[in-house]
Parts: sequence; C-alpha cells; structure tokens
Amino acid sequence: MGLSQVLNCLAAAAAKVLSMEVATVLLLEETEDRLTVAAVYGVDARQPVGVQFVAPLTPSPVILVEDARVDPRGVPFPPDLVSAVCVPLGVEGRLLGWLCVYGPRPRQLTLEDGERLKALADLGGMAIQAARGLADLERIELSKSQFIRVATHELRSPVTVAQSLVRTVLKGYTGPLTEQQQEIFARVAGRLDFLESLVNDLLDLAASRAPELAEEEGPAAVNASVGRAVLLLQPRAEEKGVSLTVHPCREELAVWATEEGLDRIFVNLIGNAVKYTPSGGRVAVSLSREGETARVEVADTGIGIPETSLPRLFEEFYRAPNARRFDIGTGLGLAIVKELVDRYGGRIEVESKVGEGTTFTVAFPLWRPM
Amino acid sequence: MAKILIVEDDPDMVTALRIPLEANGYEVFTAVSGEEGLQKVKEVGPDLIILDVMMETTTAGFQVSLQLRSPDPKSEYAPYRDIPILILTAIHTTTSLRFGPDEAYLPVDDFVDKPVDPDVLLQKVRALIERAR
Repeated sequence: MGLSQVLNCLAAAAAKVLSMEVATVLLLEETEDRLTVAAVYGVDARQPVGVQFVAPLTPSPVILVEDARVDPRGVPFPPDLVSAVCVPLGVEGRLLGWLCVYGPRPRQLTLEDGERLKALADLGGMAIQAARGLADLERIELSKSQFIRVATHELRSPVTVAQSLVRTVLKGYTGPLTEQQQEIFARVAGRLDFLESLVNDLLDLAASRAPELAEEEGPAAVNASVGRAVLLLQPRAEEKGVSLTVHPCREELAVWATEEGLDRIFVNLIGNAVKYTPSGGRVAVSLSREGETARVEVADTGIGIPETSLPRLFEEFYRAPNARRFDIGTGLGLAIVKELVDRYGGRIEVESKVGEGTTFTVAFPLWRPM
Repeated sequence: MAKILIVEDDPDMVTALRIPLEANGYEVFTAVSGEEGLQKVKEVGPDLIILDVMMETTTAGFQVSLQLRSPDPKSEYAPYRDIPILILTAIHTTTSLRFGPDEAYLPVDDFVDKPVDPDVLLQKVRALIERAR
C-alpha cells in the first residue's frame, strides 16, 4: 500500500470510529514548521479546516471541541462544522502530524472519544512511517535502475562499434589474414559478443525492476510471443542439431503483461533449453490453458541442473557448475525471467535431473476482458 | 560508381561502414550530424543514405528522414525524396523481437542493426540501390 492509500484509509477509519462526518490527516512538512492537509474524508478537499484549527507543531494532548460557536478558545471554524476531535499522530515520540474528525452539529465529547481516536492515530503513525520507508526504498531502487540504464547505454555504444570494426577485419574486407590473425580476431570477436550480451542482460534486468522504464502493461498474447521466440531460436537449434517443436494451444492465451516482457521470458527459457541441450537432443514447448491459468512448459533433454544448484538458479550471475563447463553465459537470463514472471503475477517452476533434462513451467493468470 | 552518404557521429563506426563499402567500389561521403547530413544530400546527391538515429539528439536521424521525405511539394528536399534510406538501429535483437522501421512512423527503406555485419550491410545496400534504379 502506498502512502496516499494509507492516509486515505486512516481518514476514513477516523470518521467511522467516532461516527463523525469529516476527517482530515495533517502532516508536518519536512521542514517541520508547517502542517499540510494530506488526506480528507467526507468533503471535497476542505483544506482550510484542519490547518486553521491545529496550530501546535509539537506533541500535544487531545483537543476536543464540542461546539466551536461557543468555545472560549475562539477556534476559527467554517460555518457548517462545529464539533471536532483532534489527536496528534506520532511515532516513537516524534510528531508526524494530526488526525482530526469534525461534525456539523454540537456534540458532547468525552476523553474516551479522544482515546479511541488516539489508538487509531498510533496505528496510523506506524503505518505512515512504514509507507514512507517503502517509498524511500522504491525511490532508491528506481534511481539505481536509471543509473544502470544510462550506464549500459553508454557501454553498449563502444562495444557495438568495436564489434563492427572487428567484423570488417574477420570477414576479409581489410585484406587476407594469416591463420593466426584469423584465430586471434575470432577470439576478440567472441569476447566482444559476450560483453554485448552482458550489457544487454544488465539493461533487461534494470528494465524488469523498474516498470517506469518499460512499456505500459496491458493484455498480451502468450501464443504469439512463444511463436516469435521459436522463430528467432529455430535457426540456432537447427545449426546445433537440436529439434525444437511447439505444441500450440488453440485458444488465445492473453495475460496482463507487456509483449516485450513476455518475449524476454520465452526467448530466455527456450534459448537456455536450446543452449544446454547437446546435438541430437529435443526441446519441446507446450502451451495450455488450465482453468484461469495460461501455462507454458519448456522441456529439454539437455545436461540438467544439479539439485544443489536449484535454490540459487534465479540469483543474478549464478551459474550451475555443469553449465559453466558447457557454454558461456552471463548468469542473468533466469534472474530477468523471474523478475518479469513475478511482475506479471505468474509462477515459475523447474524440474530437472542431471544428464536427463530440465523442464521449466511458467503459469500466468489469464486476462479476461471486463 | 554509386555514391553513398553516411550520416554518423562516431568516427569509428564510420570506418566500420566505409571499409566494406569502399572495398566493393562504392564512393563514400560522410557527415557527422543531421544538419550536415541534409546539407551533404544537396551537395553530393547520393544514391543511398546510411543514417544513424542517435547523434546530436536521440532522434536526429529520424528528423533527417522526416525532412527528406516531407510530402510538402515545396520542400527544399523534394528532389531527394526518392533516395533510399538505410537506418542504423541500436535496438538489441537478442531478446527484442519487434524492431525495424515502421512505415507508419518512420519513412526509411530498411535498417541495419548495430553491431554491423559487413556482409549484411552490403547485401542491403545492393538491394536498395538496385530497387531505386
């Protein structure tokens, strides 16, 4: 729950607790010299109400006003509200603001009324503190993602230029190469290609953690996304001598996601299956609908994942020992997949046996038009 | 000999493009910004333009293609409207499956992905020049 939701709930609960018509939450600004209305319940942003009423900027006792028109304290009230209970909102002895409720009629108020509201305010203070902490964390996470995005864009450019230059040499456009030159340039090209995929994966990971950086989510077709991924990876599978087949689902499986995100998930999962399956093996992708769930299964007859590696599989940069020996990889693909599956409200499961193969299953809640 | 104008602000990328093109007999001209690119189009009258997207601004290349393909009959670039445009894209293709010019938005003829594969570049250049003739 975000801070504004917490404040709105608190205002609504305050009005209900004392059966009063209007409630406001006032928060101290960062400078601690001013209160502002952070949430209002019962009227349209009746801002001046609370601010005029609550002057104290330090923790103070409960304020009860039974009838403002005759109150000796001369509190300024708008004409249509006359009674009020105000309690400080605090946490660990620090004042965060005030919680106030108002009524349009004079009302007899007891200290018990004040205590009931104070109990709610104490809970509210903790909720506000927690929501603020969460918002801070989200801000940090976002700026981290933005940093990674800028950094990776800056890294990508020189890498792609270097790749382009090396290719002109490797492909003989600068004249014939000796066997040794050919071999060395091929190694340079290989390293640059790896660097490129590392930068791309970091960029994907940053994007998957900051929805602000990605396209807006909406209904997206799983069938089409799997089709695109298979089309992209089929040449690689053929080149390796791995059979890549799809068992399609006749029904359209739409889920709430982005097409780009779904593509990343399936390119990573099917790409891994092709990569870690030796020549002569099989990769089978099956789509199905189970109740309100869209399921995609990617099963291979590859090298498998050791049981001890399974718990760490989705960690960034983690690679199972047999995978390290088998082929190069960034160790980021499954971390990206997990982030995205979680974001779209899905689940991912893996079953594997070393030397026999691996099956990844992802399941997403189906999207239904209203 | 066909003339090719490369509009690209990275001199090393220009080299990577120039080498295979010149090795295949094309005459290469260069510009380092969108503005200079437009000026060179008028000066050189190229048979094909290779255009980078991100230069002085992130969309400088798009601006150039929009100007060149302006439907306004009084446009100063009207005589150059039919020159084929090959765009250099930086969208990575390992996981991004939908890319390339969208005719509704981007008036270009084809694209080449960075990192550039010289064989692919030449194949596309040949095809576009052939088609324009």
